Amino acid sequence: MNRSIRRLYLTLAGGFALLILMLGYWQVVAAEDLSERPGNPQTIQRERLIDRGRIISADGVTLAASRARRVEGQRVYQRVYPQGPLAAHAIGYSSPTEGKTGLEATWNRYLSGSFGTEPLLQRLNLSEKQGADLRVSLDTRVQRAAEQGLLGQRGAVVALDPATGGVLAMASSPTFEPQRVVGQAGYIGQVDDTALLNRAAQGLYAPGSTFKVVTATAALESGAYTPDTQFDDTGSFATPGGPIRNFGGRTFGRHTLATALTNSINTTFARIGTVLGAERLGATMTAFGFGERPPIDLPTDQVAVSGRRQGDETIPNASEGADAARIAIGQEQLAVTPLQMAMVAAAIANEGTLVAPRLMNRITDRGGAVVQRGTPEEIGQVASGANAQALVEMMEGVVREGTGTAAALSDVGVTVAGKTGTAETGDASRNQAWFIGFAPSVDPLVAVAVVIEDTSGTGGVVAAPVAAQVMRAALESR
Amino acid sequence: MSLRARELGFLVPAALLGLLGLATVATARADGFETGPLPGALGVLAVFLAMHVALRLRAPLADPYVLPAIGVLTAIGLVQLHRIDPGLAADQAAWVAVGGAVFVGVVVALPDHHVLERYRYLIGLSAVGLLLITMVLGTEINGARLWVQVGDLTFQLGELAKVLLVIFLAAYLRDKRELLAIPTRRVLGVPAPPMAALGPVLVFLAACLGLVVILNDFGTALLFLGVFLAMIYLATGRVAYTALGLGVFLAGSAAVYAVVPRIRERVDGWISPFDDAQGQGYQLVQSLYALAEGGVVGPGLGKGFLVAEDGSTVIPALPTDFIFSAVATELGYVGGVGVLLGFLLLIQRGFVIASQATDGFSKLLAGGLTAVVGLQAILIVGGVVRLIPLTGVTLPFMSYGGSSVVTNFGLAALLLIISHRTRAGAPAPRPRRRRRREPEPEEAPA
Repeated sequence: MNRSIRRLYLTLAGGFALLILMLGYWQVVAAEDLSERPGNPQTIQRERLIDRGRIISADGVTLAASRARRVEGQRVYQRVYPQGPLAAHAIGYSSPTEGKTGLEATWNRYLSGSFGTEPLLQRLNLSEKQGADLRVSLDTRVQRAAEQGLLGQRGAVVALDPATGGVLAMASSPTFEPQRVVGQAGYIGQVDDTALLNRAAQGLYAPGSTFKVVTATAALESGAYTPDTQFDDTGSFATPGGPIRNFGGRTFGRHTLATALTNSINTTFARIGTVLGAERLGATMTAFGFGERPPIDLPTDQVAVSGRRQGDETIPNASEGADAARIAIGQEQLAVTPLQMAMVAAAIANEGTLVAPRLMNRITDRGGAVVQRGTPEEIGQVASGANAQALVEMMEGVVREGTGTAAALSDVGVTVAGKTGTAETGDASRNQAWFIGFAPSVDPLVAVAVVIEDTSGTGGVVAAPVAAQVMRAALESR
Repeated sequence: MSLRARELGFLVPAALLGLLGLATVATARADGFETGPLPGALGVLAVFLAMHVALRLRAPLADPYVLPAIGVLTAIGLVQLHRIDPGLAADQAAWVAVGGAVFVGVVVALPDHHVLERYRYLIGLSAVGLLLITMVLGTEINGARLWVQVGDLTFQLGELAKVLLVIFLAAYLRDKRELLAIPTRRVLGVPAPPMAALGPVLVFLAACLGLVVILNDFGTALLFLGVFLAMIYLATGRVAYTALGLGVFLAGSAAVYAVVPRIRERVDGWISPFDDAQGQGYQLVQSLYALAEGGVVGPGLGKGFLVAEDGSTVIPALPTDFIFSAVATELGYVGGVGVLLGFLLLIQRGFVIASQATDGFSKLLAGGLTAVVGLQAILIVGGVVRLIPLTGVTLPFMSYGGSSVVTNFGLAALLLIISHRTRAGAPAPRPRRRRRREPEPEEAPA
């Protein structure tokens, strides 16, 4: 019988071997896949145990931190946002149950302390589960000015440092309270659903006349035009798609390209667009970054692509047979984000060099050592230095004597350059008002884009004053 | 070194393991060291010492590794229960004390297990009787009728029935093994034993299986069937019988799957647990999540996420069916494999005892009892790691539950009696020296 006993033992031992293999499959091989499954409470709990790093503004204000409490004998952490809704969209939120958005999502690996050798050290209990601190380019003084300017309205503001690409302010209204996302179950369901949308990077708007800056860039870069090129306006410009008229039905007569920008003359820019053609316009758009997701450090699903759109699809910047006259004046299927338009202003302010926008300045561990540093990254040249300088002067005219006078900061002796825009929606009370610009016009320190939704006012009346306040705050905080 | 000294030596690491585990849990769960579980731990220690002393006095030649192996498994189980809910661990410690008393009782009152051979039919009928009682008086918990309630206590009589079943089968098959081993005809091309010999045992098995199926206790049914096939194989040495049995089992399973909705749900929950992760697959999915989180080394005792903020366990049946998940979550793959190796050591000793035994009854009894422990561990751990569909049997020596603990301690006592009897020879009036066919008593069957 001993042979049978031995075989029975071997059979059962084989069973145990299978158990060991299967256990290893779940605990080692498939462990990562399992932990990434949505709704895994183990993963949610693991997050609660992490002393997540802080998010600190450029002026040293703590925007996000972690607070510890003891539950069931274990130390668990909850996210706190000491500044309330300030910069809520850029910072985002981090909740074990609701997920992560904004910077909390992009830099999660560092904030949660799972970078470099940290995960291994933590696994071996040699290191606490502590995340690194994220220092961002946002300046709370500029951010507050932007949010005050938007108060009670729908819209967005983006302020960039033209030379470094650092985002000084990123505001979207209406806004939400990250603290309640973390602390109050069901808050996300109750809040106005567009409040969670970061209009500054995700909101797609018709650019209106602000797009004439792009057209003007294409015109100068083509070599066929200078700021002094003469035009004659008869109040209407015929195109295959029907005649194009000026805002308010005005007629300007003989004028220069510079004056056309100052007064936002549609017929002249439609004429330029027709001469340059869709392809040339498209090439300039591409240089400014249209048609590509701006390489900012926000989650890709929270940054929209600006450019020509058909329905929900982005279509190439340059395509044959496109209505170049209407593209040139910012109509015809153009949909852009405030971030993209701020990049347009910043590129011209930075002598024609487009720098990638970014929020992260540096990441430091708890000991203060720098883990990673954000460095300016040049994307490309949108115009020659000379043409950029010509555009600066043309845009100065807009604020000095044209549609954008409300953006002036002459009281502090600063020259502002800019361009207004008013995208009409057919309903006179639902215009989208724009201002893009930068200050000072010599060695600019800040470039802005402001959009106000659902207004009866024009860009020069509604958006330009907000831009002035934001630029003023940026200059004062320097 | 004597066998008992060796046993005592190996009990020391088991005790240290338990105390160290308790200390780890205490430091992980609170800022200071709690003395709360210490009296209980010392009590359990005393119980194991009592069992050791009983063996010293009444079965000094018994295998020295069985008790330490049980000690390790019990210690890990108690520590894990304490970490989940100190109240459950206190209950369980009391049941370990009862189990210890049964162990000592068996060792003292049953100097020779051959006595059991005489009462085979009584024992067999008792097994059926226990199941009948469960059927008539049982309370239903979670859709299965496994428990008989007496006052505040509930008993799982099926646990005891499984030991009685093994004793009966050992005695019966020992009688009839010669008859069974010689096929008299062929059924579907497979050699079949004479029905006169096989008939009664088939009737008995059918009765047991029928009852547990009525009780909706498919885990126990599977266990009974597995043990039956294992013992038939031990008795006859014929793989064909086991293969035939397995074939019948698979056909029967298919039928059960088609007919019983509860089983269909279980099997579907096994094949695709994530399709119904909130319903039928909930426990398994939560268990897999916990295992994955444990990883290779685990976060350590008391540091896993097993108990939610409101005090409920993340896997509902954590202290019972899923106790293995709890261990493997907090101690990682290393800890899980450790527990499995503990069981493997235990059944290895069991089969050594069986192969060393000199008579058919002892061999069949030791082999059968060992097979019960091994199969039961494979059934429940296999369910937990999704190797096979989940069945609600307990993990011997570790799952929370008095009936299981007490029965398994009694089972271990029987094994050790057989071991001692083998080495000591028959008691008094038969001083016959046993024939040594094995070169060494310590040799493993593998």
